[in-house]
Amino acid sequence: MNRFEHRRSRLAGAAVAVIAIGGVLAGCSSSSSSTSSTSTPASTSSSSAPAPTSGSASPTSTAVTTSSCGTKPGVAATGTPINLGSIVTDQTGTSFADIANMANAYFTCVNANGGINGHPIKYFIEKEQTNATQIASEAKQLVQSDHVVGIVGNTSIIECSVDHTYWEGLGYYIIDSGIAPECYSTSHSAAVNMGPRYSSDGAVQYALTQHPSKIVFDQANVPGTTYIAAGPNAIAAAAKVPITDMTATPPVADANSVAISLVDAAGKDGAVVLNFTPPDALAILGAAQKLNIEDNVKLWACSTPCNTDFLATTLGPKWNNKIFVNAELTPPDKTNTPTMNLYKAILKQYGSAVTGGIGSFSQMGFVEAELMVKALESVTGSYTVASVNAAIKGLTDVNTGMLCQQWSYGSYSSHIPNNEDYTVTADNGQMVIASNGGCTPISAVDPQIAAYRAEAGTAPLDPTST
Amino acid sequence: MPSWSELSQFLVSGLALGGVYALSGVGLVVLYRATGVLFLAFGAVGAMGAFLTYEMIQASAPGWAAWIVCILFGGVVTLIYGMIFGPALAGRNTLVRAVATLGLTLILFGAMEVLWPPTSGAVRAISLPTDNSGFTLFGLQVTWTQVIALGAGVVLTVATGLFLRYTKLGTAMRAMANDREITATLGVPVRRVEAAAWFGCGILAGFAGLLLADLVQLEPATLTFLVISSLAAALIARLRSITVTFVAAIVIGVVHDLLTPFTALTNYRDMTPFVLAVIALLVVSRHRTVMTRSREEA
Repeated sequence: MNRFEHRRSRLAGAAVAVIAIGGVLAGCSSSSSSTSSTSTPASTSSSSAPAPTSGSASPTSTAVTTSSCGTKPGVAATGTPINLGSIVTDQTGTSFADIANMANAYFTCVNANGGINGHPIKYFIEKEQTNATQIASEAKQLVQSDHVVGIVGNTSIIECSVDHTYWEGLGYYIIDSGIAPECYSTSHSAAVNMGPRYSSDGAVQYALTQHPSKIVFDQANVPGTTYIAAGPNAIAAAAKVPITDMTATPPVADANSVAISLVDAAGKDGAVVLNFTPPDALAILGAAQKLNIEDNVKLWACSTPCNTDFLATTLGPKWNNKIFVNAELTPPDKTNTPTMNLYKAILKQYGSAVTGGIGSFSQMGFVEAELMVKALESVTGSYTVASVNAAIKGLTDVNTGMLCQQWSYGSYSSHIPNNEDYTVTADNGQMVIASNGGCTPISAVDPQIAAYRAEAGTAPLDPTST
Repeated sequence: MPSWSELSQFLVSGLALGGVYALSGVGLVVLYRATGVLFLAFGAVGAMGAFLTYEMIQASAPGWAAWIVCILFGGVVTLIYGMIFGPALAGRNTLVRAVATLGLTLILFGAMEVLWPPTSGAVRAISLPTDNSGFTLFGLQVTWTQVIALGAGVVLTVATGLFLRYTKLGTAMRAMANDREITATLGVPVRRVEAAAWFGCGILAGFAGLLLADLVQLEPATLTFLVISSLAAALIARLRSITVTFVAAIVIGVVHDLLTPFTALTNYRDMTPFVLAVIALLVVSRHRTVMTRSREEA
């Protein structure tokens, strides 16, 4: 082999290596990497020590003990466990584990304070990486191996799509945080949140109140983008404001070009509405700030995931009253209600696994656990799949203390029980309710909202949430 | 069709992106030329260093100390890998040596996923002081960090070219690229030369990781797999020319960003490195075939 051929051979080898290994790497980044159970049985240990007061986020909050989460303060539940399960997306760039972790914190609190009529809750959390086979397998594991009698806290990009017929067949009524269309459009799933579509509806609706000349709606390029975009498009069309849909592949690696394209598309009098997870939203907003183009549009808006103090803190005061975020749950920072204080106290004492701290995700976990506990407490007799799910389905007009409206399950073909919400804005490191951002119904211009209201009616406001 | 004022903004952002691709690409080519190893762990090493920097800053360590740790971490980890596995794999073909570095990639990537798992709310980020000032170009604020990224690519390309051509160590590296065994028989301290190459490549990985964590996102997968774009640039340069690698990296960055405002193409812009690499390889291959035939006919 001469020198020329030797070099050529090495180059060819390198080319093969790059192409083959590029494929492997690309595969690694998107495939399921772990199917191991991360079941987290709730603690059953006693907690008789004085409970701390609520977190520091609310200086005006009154002292609340976590013992109020249960019926027998300080008495650990020691009976037969009630098994509950959850499936959450937890993958590179997208994690909803905080929701289940917060539900687990609530259950741990309940277990330490009497449990459910003396029975502790044992909570199994399965994590998935947007792999349908894995998700279906985890559902079966929860039912067949873990013998769960209820499913609560599910938050997954595709779980509702994959498993809804399975749950329907077995008679499980799921309390979840919805993302996929089937979380809202099926009979056996009811979410505490509004999900990306209706939250984006809310963000667009608020943006329209500022009279922008155009809306640019950008979202993560994940399954369901067409479904999600349908709501904002309907609302913008009804307002006769042009809307442009865009997507960016998460995790966003070219935030600069994404930010420039959004600002260019919106124009000086336009509005940019984002629907991303916090890291990607922050990358785009941060890029706009570094490029000094954040003021080149009239306003920025965002669906619920942006509703974290971390985002407001990181972006800084330049974004005060510049970014408006749809908040599906009562803003926690300046709310001083018993429920909000209990949430903060539980988060502080039992929520070490909740990485995001105070924010919408942990609030969702709190509400889901709260609803499940209410359902379990209404069960008379043994805790079976039939009795527990009948109780879940029977939840009606519940004051959660976290939502604008009372929450109901009911026998409906679709479930969007949370369809009225807040808008918050950055205010020196905190998210506070924006001007005219109080409880506002999502527009029935979105045909899905109209269909749900026609079937279930409009729920009364929750007097305990503010 | 986007206007020039729109395109010029993407040109600026593309230059900055190309600059960081160039940093990584040049490091890859230098190491390949010295050791014959395609170092696929380049991105993962830099990412891990960046996360260590993040942790140090969170622990209130001085920023400069955290940056040095990031850069040194890259150098030390790469050197250790090179010293342990380099000699053992020296006799194996290019594919085997590249796949071995993939092992290091996956170990570091897995460690990052465990140590810094994805979060639901809080976001990790590194911000350098050079982010806070800069100048305006085509209506965009250009930060000094972006200028440093592009400038470092230029400086590195020139300095490495001069180093390889005019220094004893550089000459030894070039000799090893042709034939390791003959170079060794000529009395060149092969292990020492390789160690210098591994360490230098690692230092670049750490430096690139720090810049990318600031310019792109402090996220394990993003930083680990961003090296693929740099690999494409190195491949376009046939893993030989540092200058061509630099130019290719800049072209990849610019083309990638210039595609953004084109609605029909914007969702395919992430394919830019692969498409350009494939086109370059096809052109080179065809050119060689034609040249070989011409020579045979003559």
